[in-house]
Amino acid sequence: MREVADRALDTAAAAGAHYADCRVINRSVQELTVKNGQVALVELSEDTGVGVRVLVDGAWGFASVDRLDTASVDETSALAVRIARSSARLRRDPVRLAPVQPAQGEYRTPVQRDPFTVSLEDKLDVLMRSDSAMSEVQGITVREASLEFVKEERYFASSEGAAIAQTIIESGGGFDATATSADEVQTRSFPNSFGRHQLCAGWEAIEAFDLPGNGRRIAEEAVALLSAELCPAGRMTVILDGTQAALQVHESCGHPTELDRVLGSEAAYAGMSFLTPDLLGTFRYGSRAVTLTADATQPGGLGTFGWDDEGVAAQRVVLVDEGVFTGYMTSRETAAVIGGTSNGAMRADSWCRIPLIRMTNVNLEPGTSSLEEMIATTEHGVYLETNRSWSIDDRRLNFQFGTQNGWEIRDGRRVRLVRNPLYRGVTPDFWRSCDAVAGPDEWRMWGVVNCGKGEPSQVMHVGHGAAPCRFQNVDVGPAS
Amino acid sequence: MRTDEREELLSVATATLDRAPGGQAEVIAVQQTQQLTRFAGNVVHQNVAESSLELRVRIIANSRVGVAQLRGEVPDAETRVVQAAEQARSFASESDPSPLPEPDGAGEVAAAFSEATESASPEDRARVAGLVIAAAEQQGVEAFGSVSTRTTRTAIVNSNGVRRHAATTQASVITVVRGEDGAGYAAGHSADFGDIDAAAVGREAVDTCVRNQHAGAVEPGLYEVVLTPYAVTDVVEHLSWMGFSALAKQEQRSFMRPGRRLMSETVTIADDPADPGSFPFPFDLEGVSSRRVTSIDHGVCAGFLYDTPTARRDGVSSTGHSLPQPNTYGPYARHLVMEAGDASRDELIASVRRGLLVTRLWYVRDVHPLRTIITGMTREGTFLIENGRIGRPVRDLRFTQSIVDALDDVRGVSRERGLALGEDESAVLTPWLHLGHFAFTS
Repeated sequence: MREVADRALDTAAAAGAHYADCRVINRSVQELTVKNGQVALVELSEDTGVGVRVLVDGAWGFASVDRLDTASVDETSALAVRIARSSARLRRDPVRLAPVQPAQGEYRTPVQRDPFTVSLEDKLDVLMRSDSAMSEVQGITVREASLEFVKEERYFASSEGAAIAQTIIESGGGFDATATSADEVQTRSFPNSFGRHQLCAGWEAIEAFDLPGNGRRIAEEAVALLSAELCPAGRMTVILDGTQAALQVHESCGHPTELDRVLGSEAAYAGMSFLTPDLLGTFRYGSRAVTLTADATQPGGLGTFGWDDEGVAAQRVVLVDEGVFTGYMTSRETAAVIGGTSNGAMRADSWCRIPLIRMTNVNLEPGTSSLEEMIATTEHGVYLETNRSWSIDDRRLNFQFGTQNGWEIRDGRRVRLVRNPLYRGVTPDFWRSCDAVAGPDEWRMWGVVNCGKGEPSQVMHVGHGAAPCRFQNVDVGPAS
Repeated sequence: MRTDEREELLSVATATLDRAPGGQAEVIAVQQTQQLTRFAGNVVHQNVAESSLELRVRIIANSRVGVAQLRGEVPDAETRVVQAAEQARSFASESDPSPLPEPDGAGEVAAAFSEATESASPEDRARVAGLVIAAAEQQGVEAFGSVSTRTTRTAIVNSNGVRRHAATTQASVITVVRGEDGAGYAAGHSADFGDIDAAAVGREAVDTCVRNQHAGAVEPGLYEVVLTPYAVTDVVEHLSWMGFSALAKQEQRSFMRPGRRLMSETVTIADDPADPGSFPFPFDLEGVSSRRVTSIDHGVCAGFLYDTPTARRDGVSSTGHSLPQPNTYGPYARHLVMEAGDASRDELIASVRRGLLVTRLWYVRDVHPLRTIITGMTREGTFLIENGRIGRPVRDLRFTQSIVDALDDVRGVSRERGLALGEDESAVLTPWLHLGHFAFTS
């Protein structure tokens, strides 16, 4: 990898690049799916290539190729330079990069057991036992369980002297149980929706999920939802479980604190942000119970690494401090625009795509309450579990989320299961109504594996630490 | 399409197939080059190119199926990917895998392809981006967007004798133009880069932007609406996801009730892989010829989309709508078309006493698939229509609405249609729609 990267940088420099960086990546993925008691998919995939990013005449160019021979690498570097020159024709001010000390080093995701050393048979056994547990419940029409394992070898080098080798390992798994009646389809998922829960971790994570041990319970909940009452409507207290809190953080805090969005890079696609730079340090984003961080050093998160894809070291950034908006996730280019240095949030989903500002692990820091205490001190509300639908406007203000199930709370007690719950609001109003966050005992790292951004589209794996949390006077109703 | 490149890709696929052990085997080879120039604030800020060849192998033997995929040049890639698929197969437990399709006798059918798109240079894309930017600068506003070109060659061979190849190109110019307090959107797509009138795309977005400044609020509630093809695309795409697939029917999660009229008789929606107004493509990812399936026929639920596994279950033939097999998603529409009506779009607007003109929808998500309820936001151009005239801009609104319910109250369908890309980047060809009601919730 080093030779390929060095060659690419040399060629770019010779062609006129005044800055260049190169990523050489080999990614292996195992995917296994069992559906309705049958092995539906065992897929092994491998993906190798090189991406070269250059600055010429103050403008960016990027080219990539899946061949690592000298001729292909030379051609790709030359193409990147040509593309940059074409960019420069429609550029006013030259791109400036905030300084970074060029790093040399290595990083490897700490794992207890490399998932690629576990046999496919053992992996399928976990899925078959999970499927079997769901099949014990009458009324389930579709059962689907899956595992995914990723190992990515990345080498990054820059013309400034950075040389970084990283190995990132991910393990993920989960299942869905679906029950149907004439007028309802209800799916329950475990540990999270979107097919699976995923972490930067080894096989030990899959064992800790205990998928087989939760199959029956989750399937029973799916069947129970068919005949559950509709979620009540009106303004009431809402308590979110950790998974839904994680997605709420993702959509309403993570995306609006990406500085490239704020500056307009995504205006034609993903949109912009209501958190403009003039609000830094003064805007009340949430209540004092709300502290949000972007922490690429947090163990287990899908946004945990040694260095980002510009060679900036992983770090922890406070985005919202006791309710006050205090920071962005940044890149070298965007940090230079507002003054300061990059805090290491540039990530690409592949060798063939450029790095963009992406969430690392955007976390709701733990509070001092507990789920039990929150329910016990709620007069009327709902406890909502596991995302079902999600939508938010292009500035990240107006949102509506639905969850797979809800529990109505009356006078401090869960009184009944309710189906098709929705809640909606406006981001700062919602977070200002947060009056409790559960403590460290209930705080977990969750993974989001379908975060889309950029053109061409990139799908990033990001992490969110979250615990159950409570909000007052929220607009709630059923989807019906 | 160049013959040498066709033969070269087929020979890579065939050489891979030849390495497969006994049993059934299938190889999908996809060679893709993609270039995209992105601009923001009237300057180019991202500009990229990529090139790759991906091999996907499926092996079926002794009631076990294994799949492997490989992208990137590694020593003896063909052997390596076959060995990985065989390894996956050997560990898979016995199941009832769907057999590979047989050749269906289709000859070579052309896909949407343009030499002009394939040969477009970085300088060509910069020139086109410059046309959009110039339109914005003339009005003192800022353009954001992208100019992209893509060439995809697909070869599919299997041990039953299927041997298919197609080359396709796609070019797009997309822009959001922003003023002081409001924005406009426009896009153009074609197989032929030279057929997109980028200056016109720029002018359309600028015009919407200029009219969409300092929007005021309107009360949420039920409104008559006129939706542009950009917005109708989202509606039609989500409707297909919620029920056109035979797998959705087999798993009892489709809204479709065959033979029942659920919508206005002015509504006819099909997946038509041969429609010249879209991006024609002759076969699916099993190598089965794709044919037109009308799912909503004058408001009546009609046909489902099939791949080989779902067709086998129902004892019918595949309609050629497969994703790579095996998968748990089921058949998929990639060429949705909605039939045109007989009114002009101006007539649709003129017939609205009080309602909203919606340029574009955003972040549309299924809320209750069986009832076809979706939610989302309006974006970049929502206007009040009063007494048949487009009036003041209104702030973006959230809607939560059943699609079937909305399409049962169609007041008009335009004869003009527009081609847009759906959320999954598939082409969708739709008219303008005048709907009697649409629920805006906040």
